[in-house]
Amino acid sequence: MLESLVSLESMSLSSMDVSVLERLKWLQQQQQQQQQQQQQQVLSSTNASPELLQFHGTNNDELLQNTFSHFQMLRSGFGPNYSMGFGPSHEPMDGCISRTNSCQMDQADTVGVMLKNSEENIAFSLKSKRKSEVKTRAEEKTEKKIKVEAETESNMKVKSNLSNTEASSETSKQTSKGASEIQKLDYIHVRARRGQATDRHSLAERARREKISKKMKYLQDLVPGCNKVTGRAGMLDEIINYVQSLQRQVEFLSMKLAVLNPELELAMEDLSVKQFQAYFTNLPVLVASKPSLMVDAPLFPLDQQGSLDLSVINPNQATSIEAPSASWETQSQSLYNTSSLGFQY
Amino acid sequence: MASADKPINTDVPEKDVFALHFLQSLSNLRRQNAFNSPDDTTNNRVKKIKKAAYVSMARAAGGTNRLWSRALLRRAAKENNKVVIFSRRKKRVTWLRRSNRRDPVDAERLRNLLPGGGAMETSKLMEETAHYIKCLSMQVKVMQCLVDGLSAK
Repeated sequence: MLESLVSLESMSLSSMDVSVLERLKWLQQQQQQQQQQQQQQVLSSTNASPELLQFHGTNNDELLQNTFSHFQMLRSGFGPNYSMGFGPSHEPMDGCISRTNSCQMDQADTVGVMLKNSEENIAFSLKSKRKSEVKTRAEEKTEKKIKVEAETESNMKVKSNLSNTEASSETSKQTSKGASEIQKLDYIHVRARRGQATDRHSLAERARREKISKKMKYLQDLVPGCNKVTGRAGMLDEIINYVQSLQRQVEFLSMKLAVLNPELELAMEDLSVKQFQAYFTNLPVLVASKPSLMVDAPLFPLDQQGSLDLSVINPNQATSIEAPSASWETQSQSLYNTSSLGFQY
Repeated sequence: MASADKPINTDVPEKDVFALHFLQSLSNLRRQNAFNSPDDTTNNRVKKIKKAAYVSMARAAGGTNRLWSRALLRRAAKENNKVVIFSRRKKRVTWLRRSNRRDPVDAERLRNLLPGGGAMETSKLMEETAHYIKCLSMQVKVMQCLVDGLSAK
């Protein structure tokens, strides 16, 4: 069975793009027949191959094509997530298929590629998978209601995960692998980049590295001035510099506070009402976060005193106030908060 | 586990939460009479204030949910000869993992900077760094406001 497919592919490999399309269609039909024989599943093969190929065209990813074929077979529980559409035309797909057309098909490789220990691979891949990318791609496709086997479900996840890891690389893949791998449902099909190892560890490493790079991108947005630097080392240096500068700032400000110590103590004795005023004039954004802390009666005169001070402080720091009227309202609330704050001590 | 954890949660509370905690810790310091004459140098005071700043930041922002805040609080408590007990909600970070998964990118300097950074995976380190940066900047703003408020009088 496999050899027949192989022979067919070898026949068609020499031909042009369109034949690849037809070959894949044929393969799909073959697969469908086999499935109907073996597993009594219904594959809408007519839908399958164009979708496959369109999908292939949009994503330039053979593994995705492969996974998608499996996905049709496997999926049951992913209903609304994976919706398909016959979006793109055949032309871009032809282009990419032609690119892959030149690849040699090597039977031995495909066998070698297949990992036979499904259990561990499922566990491994599930850890490192990126479902979101699969979903965004799968949303282009129509939903397939096909019976699923337990392990093949996770197979699909594995493949989609691996396809994600490889789609990001965008290197040339081997179509032939996909063809023969369609046949074997039991195995987890790993699509490796050209010249890269396909063992579990390297894949895990790759997934982990991509996670880390994603997080570093997030950090890049956080740290100002990190856009100019490219590369991990430069960004790391920038991040480290920024953290160091922030820590130095904290130390510097604490030194300042220590110098201002007597005034600090004076302010503290006022139950930090004035300090909060000082804060609030600089922090127009105030969340009345503690409504439960209402003012206590003995502190009421303090509030009045505080409000008086408000009028003093406000003009001094008027530059930092964006909405003076709002700050007045918030300050009254804050006074309540701070007055009760004293009681928390 | 790492499934589609795209929105990395690095939310930091508002400025006044930081302000509140910082002022609380400062007043605690004052109550301990730490600012009296025994502090011959300003250095001790500075250190205490700095420590109060960090501890309050850890409490305000991270609580016990963040690894760096936990490590900070633990370190501070150790200096005071106290014991900090954290309720473990998540599983313990396996040190096995740590030894295996660090090979290509070793952000050693970053680990030294970040409190508790030595025991994290690199990806976790990045998350914690992001949150730490946000909290630090917030704390800096709070302290700056305080300094401005005090020095303006």
